[in-house]
Amino acid sequence: MISFLTSGFFASMLSFLAIYVALTVILHLQANVAGVVNFGIAGFWGIGMYATSIFLLRFNINFWISIVLGAIVTGLIALPLARILLNLDGQAVLVGTLAFASIVENQIFVNREITGGSRGLGTIPMPIDVGPYRFIVYGLVVVAFVVALILYAWKLKKAPFGRLLFSIRDNELLSRSLGKPTFRHKIIFFAITCGLIGLFGGLTAPLHSFLLPMMVSPTVTFTAWIALMLGGQSKISGAVIGVLATEFVFFYLLRVILPLPAEAAQMVPFFIYAAYGLMLVLVLMFKPTGIMGGKRRGN
Amino acid sequence: MNPILLQFTFIIGLLEAAPMVLAAVGFTLIYRLNGFVNVAYSENLTIGAYTGVVLNTMLGLGFYVAIIPAVLVSGLFSVATYLLVFRPAMRRGVNKTELIIMSVGLSFLIRYGLTMVFGVLPYPFTHDRTFIRFLNIGITDLQIVCLILAALVSIFYLMFMFRTNYGEKMRALSDNEQLAKTSGINPLRVTIMIWFMAGVAGGFAGVFLGVFSIVVPWLGWYEILFIMMITIIGGIGSVPGAIVAGLATSILRSGVTLMSDSYAGAVTLLVLFIVALKYQAVRKGGIKT
Repeated sequence: MISFLTSGFFASMLSFLAIYVALTVILHLQANVAGVVNFGIAGFWGIGMYATSIFLLRFNINFWISIVLGAIVTGLIALPLARILLNLDGQAVLVGTLAFASIVENQIFVNREITGGSRGLGTIPMPIDVGPYRFIVYGLVVVAFVVALILYAWKLKKAPFGRLLFSIRDNELLSRSLGKPTFRHKIIFFAITCGLIGLFGGLTAPLHSFLLPMMVSPTVTFTAWIALMLGGQSKISGAVIGVLATEFVFFYLLRVILPLPAEAAQMVPFFIYAAYGLMLVLVLMFKPTGIMGGKRRGN
Repeated sequence: MNPILLQFTFIIGLLEAAPMVLAAVGFTLIYRLNGFVNVAYSENLTIGAYTGVVLNTMLGLGFYVAIIPAVLVSGLFSVATYLLVFRPAMRRGVNKTELIIMSVGLSFLIRYGLTMVFGVLPYPFTHDRTFIRFLNIGITDLQIVCLILAALVSIFYLMFMFRTNYGEKMRALSDNEQLAKTSGINPLRVTIMIWFMAGVAGGFAGVFLGVFSIVVPWLGWYEILFIMMITIIGGIGSVPGAIVAGLATSILRSGVTLMSDSYAGAVTLLVLFIVALKYQAVRKGGIKT
């Protein structure tokens, strides 16, 4: 049992689950607290991941400083994007952020001198070198970051700034007439949360250890969205439950418990994505508030 | 810009425009009527292309014969997505943004379902092509036929929208549903008709895309952003706009691609796309700062 808990498999499973929980919680903050439909998560996440690795490998900066720099870069890129997009309607924001993510994927592919292009960028070592336990120690560090994020999200929803964001989401005109600079708050909040996505992108880099442009595909975005919709979009617990219900059940239990022949095993990822899609349709159709329930807001 | 390059840009752009114009027309029809971005529309292209290629290679039908069942299947698929997914969702009061997320889910389901059936290996159409040298560019007879077909279909759709009773009913329904209903228009019948026509246009686009290169499960998905961009530049919901913007952006894309490497083209257009989004919001007066 101890050997399983310290194994690379368990550590990687734990770390990836934690990263997805973080992305989904941030998505909950953006979509449900601030009312911004972000379909470019993969883009911000990819910028964070690549920026961190580039600072680390090309400039030999310490890993933890690289992560912070990566998050700042992501936030600074998100700022002008927010300035352009956030005063458009929901559908335009959705399409615009989706387009942004595909620009990011493209640019990572094209700028070979910096990102390594399709040859990849690596190798990123585990930052805390404590021999055979380095994987699980790093996994626990990632979990600590995620717990901190959840506490922040929980506090934010009770804090005056959180209430301000709720008021902007529900009735921006009214909120503005009370003298709040609503648009500026929305932009700043979006940039900060995108910076956080970048931070978790940076934390993902050592887990992959070797980066390829295809990792920055829209699948990351949709996985987070499906988890949020399934778990319940208006609760932080919904984000956590949603990730456990999708990632854990499908990716880990299905692979570990079901003994599948080799040909069928190749089909498993396709089956999982098809099932994700089906789940998303069914949840929105029959229980739009998700597993954890909560109130639903209309546009 | 030297004249030869300009010539290349125009010819290649025009030939590549054939599928994009049709796809944009179908996409914009659905937006016009139901007012949401249907990402699952991309799967109409894929399904059309797969139906075509299966009939063409496995049953040995000629390419031009295989087009007809392919577009019909794509049209029926489009109607099925409306009746089974979007109509019940709209009746349950799912909002616009959630409808888009739902369409993304549906697109996932269909795309990976197709991948499980057909695998990731590409299917090529078997069709003999004659290469023609036209103004120093090697093109195939197939590309010309597809361009002509696309032009005919586009003209048909324009006529349908603006010259027939159904087109009028459809425009009435999208402008004011209550008023349309009181004037005795059966909304269900008109809506099904429109989704079918949109699917047929998507099927044509898919078959053309497939025959120009290869048929893979992500054929439609790769193009959907570009299709959205065309419709947004052309004024989302406008059929003539989609046709003009489809031609213009395809020519622009081929120009940028010829002058730099192929990825810069995609980026330039996506930037243009965000500018167009912004511009339209300003023009609508819906912008709030």
